Amino acid sequence: MAAQPDIANRMTGPLPPPATSVGVLGWLRSNLFSTWYNGVITVVAGAIIALALWYGLRWALVDADWAVIARIGGRFAIGGYNTSQACPGQDCFWRPQAILLLITVLLGMAWGIAGAGLARTAALVVAVAAALFALLPYSLERMGMDVRLLLVANLPAVALGWALARYTPLGTVRWASILAVVVFVVSLVLLRGLPGVPGLQPVPVNHWGGLTLNLLLATVGITLSLPIGIALALGRRSHLPVLKGLCVFFIEVFRGMPLITLLFMAHVLGPLVFPGTSPLLRAGVVITLFSSAYMAENIRGGLQALHPGQAEAARALGLPGWQTTLLISLPQALRNVIPAIVGQFIGLFKDTSLVYIISMLDIVEIGRTVIRGNVEFQDNARELYVFLAIVFWIFTYGMSYVSGRVEQHLGVGQR
Amino acid sequence: MGVRNDGDFYDAPLLMGRVCDLPGYVVLSRLKTVLSFGAAMTQQIPRFLTYQNIPVWRHAVVIQWVAQLVSAFIVVGLVAAAAVNLISAINERNISYSFSFLSRAYQTPIGDHFLPYDANADTFLYAIAVAATNTLFVAIIGVILAIALGIIMGVMRLSGNWLVAKTAMVYVEFFRNVPLLVQLFFWWVILLALPPIRESYILPGGFFVNNRGLSFPGPAADGSAAWLWLLLALAVIAAGVIVSRRLARRELETGQASYPVVAGWGAVLLGGALSWIIVSLINGAPPLTLSIPEQQGRFLNIVGGQTFKPGMVALLIGLVMYTAAFIAEIVRAGIQSVSRGQTEAARALGLTPMSTLRTVIFPQALRVIIPPLISQCLNLTKNSSLGIAVGYSELTGIAQTMTQTAPAISIFLLIMLCYLAMSLTWSLIGNIYNWRIGASSSR
Repeated sequence: MAAQPDIANRMTGPLPPPATSVGVLGWLRSNLFSTWYNGVITVVAGAIIALALWYGLRWALVDADWAVIARIGGRFAIGGYNTSQACPGQDCFWRPQAILLLITVLLGMAWGIAGAGLARTAALVVAVAAALFALLPYSLERMGMDVRLLLVANLPAVALGWALARYTPLGTVRWASILAVVVFVVSLVLLRGLPGVPGLQPVPVNHWGGLTLNLLLATVGITLSLPIGIALALGRRSHLPVLKGLCVFFIEVFRGMPLITLLFMAHVLGPLVFPGTSPLLRAGVVITLFSSAYMAENIRGGLQALHPGQAEAARALGLPGWQTTLLISLPQALRNVIPAIVGQFIGLFKDTSLVYIISMLDIVEIGRTVIRGNVEFQDNARELYVFLAIVFWIFTYGMSYVSGRVEQHLGVGQR
Repeated sequence: MGVRNDGDFYDAPLLMGRVCDLPGYVVLSRLKTVLSFGAAMTQQIPRFLTYQNIPVWRHAVVIQWVAQLVSAFIVVGLVAAAAVNLISAINERNISYSFSFLSRAYQTPIGDHFLPYDANADTFLYAIAVAATNTLFVAIIGVILAIALGIIMGVMRLSGNWLVAKTAMVYVEFFRNVPLLVQLFFWWVILLALPPIRESYILPGGFFVNNRGLSFPGPAADGSAAWLWLLLALAVIAAGVIVSRRLARRELETGQASYPVVAGWGAVLLGGALSWIIVSLINGAPPLTLSIPEQQGRFLNIVGGQTFKPGMVALLIGLVMYTAAFIAEIVRAGIQSVSRGQTEAARALGLTPMSTLRTVIFPQALRVIIPPLISQCLNLTKNSSLGIAVGYSELTGIAQTMTQTAPAISIFLLIMLCYLAMSLTWSLIGNIYNWRIGASSSR
């Protein structure tokens, strides 16, 4: 009994954890050296990674000659759009740049409507990147003042969009959607030009190129393939034999063929079957239809995974069939397959690089043309492909990041 | 009772508020107003406009059939317009569209071929078959390697070792997000920059790496004897599978140890060796010999063995790295779908981490993994058409060359059939698997 108070005096609180389980040491121990074989794996993997990094960085910083990227420069963005063949006697550089300005205004509006968050990040990243590009030493030396001013103008453009959304009645989702469509149409007109209008000299579609072409095809494909895919998925699930048969046939044929084969077929047979269509239109149609067949299967998966009780409850409440689908089934199905849909969008964006098969000069092919045309760059193809990989990666990773945020927002997998 | 639970009804207006903003909804609800206005006049409309006493424009069956007929009409109209254009173009430009070219000699060399091919004698039809085997070859090897790499990467991503998990993550995020075309061009450039044949890298075991491709020891077949042995070997494998299944069932039913795996493999190895000896005795020489490449002559050219040209190696590396990134994510999702309790129970029973993974987690994860895995296999098969970019002669590449000397329409029809057959085969495999899973889970 006498020992009791003595112990109580000594027990002033829990002892601190051993030094090996907290802080940097603890982290290393639990994540890298938890068991002896984990330690061996860490050392071996670390050595391999260090070696790869050493050689990779040495190549990138010392051996690689990045002059080819600088030489291609603006052509990565617009291809041969601003050349004397495409735009004889005029400077057409401002037309793609005006489109970029319109897009940043829209992004600024999105920021104004949604408030802080993803929209703000997107708007600021695009505008700041464009403005910084104008201030690179390379750009100072190669670009005219007008080009750089238009690039820097993206910053006030975001501010303008934000102000429009905040202080005018345009700041609603509906107005922003309408304006997005208007901007798309205006962009097409700007790219295409209007005959007879001074400054808007027509530019044939075969001169459109670079990232603009990839983004144009991807935008059209993404916006059209989702509704077409939904329609096909609903058609495939309907009980009407003719409709179902047509949808199944369409989906299976387009899913069964490689996109490159379809593009090539459209390229050869297109002029015979639909005379007067441009290669760009045919590529856009093929990419859209191909993607909508995949989209239809993703959405069908979402519809199938939905508990039948949802539709039954809606019918029991007296909703007619189309309302059951539109208000009950589709919203839930779409929310559940967001990852698959975004994956399909990313796939579509990557697939736009395949248009080279029908001799369109997208961002990949424009680089290859320059390498083929200049003997001094014939050993620099590696640099080109590494650069292209990084460009594509930034876009696709951005898309999957946005999708992750949207999923979080809608609470996928938490209900 | 009697108190209505209003909570259930709060969600509906909220949802409506969100959906009512959609333009499609606005149009449809206007349409609905028009239709219900029609309903008010039901009494006044003449009888012939009603079906089962319901106005035809409100009768579900009538609406559905009209919708079907209209959509069918539109599709038929489009197809007919396309056909009319095509036929007039064919007549105008005097384009041939028959299939008679198939028996003509192709007279164009094919870069890589696994079937014997003679450019001057062999026909178009045979050339298409050669191209189809090229596609199949790359697809099968690619699928095997991609699945292996994908499983490794998927398991690595779940590793408790931070460095290993992050390496796998970087791999997946990079290779999944860069277009296959760019990757293919990259590998292609790397392979072409290898040293010339004189300065080949020589790896132990008879592997040669140079800018003309990768040479390695391969089987050299002795004509019909090889086919005979292959047939016998297939029969032996089938017999081995049957034996091991029988024994496995016996073990399950009687509880006696019957060693199905050992017996099955024993039967296969023994039968294979026996048939090898028999065929060798009949033939006088072994059916297959191992041919090892070696450098000969003044230019140190490589003779013997198997050689994969740079285009094919680039295509294989690209397809495998790209598809494995997707498969790794599928594998990870599958493993994560197995509840943690399974791992804990297995560890509590004393299984090592490796055998926990192999005997407890993986069999359960397979159910989730297999369906998307099969669609990735189909994607790999279709993506092999990008071989056209690195000069590998597969179906699309050969179609492109053939259109210069033969009617494009007929060639496209044949190529379409080939691809559709391949994709149907993959769907069939998927369906058989689903059916077996369904059968076993209902048991």
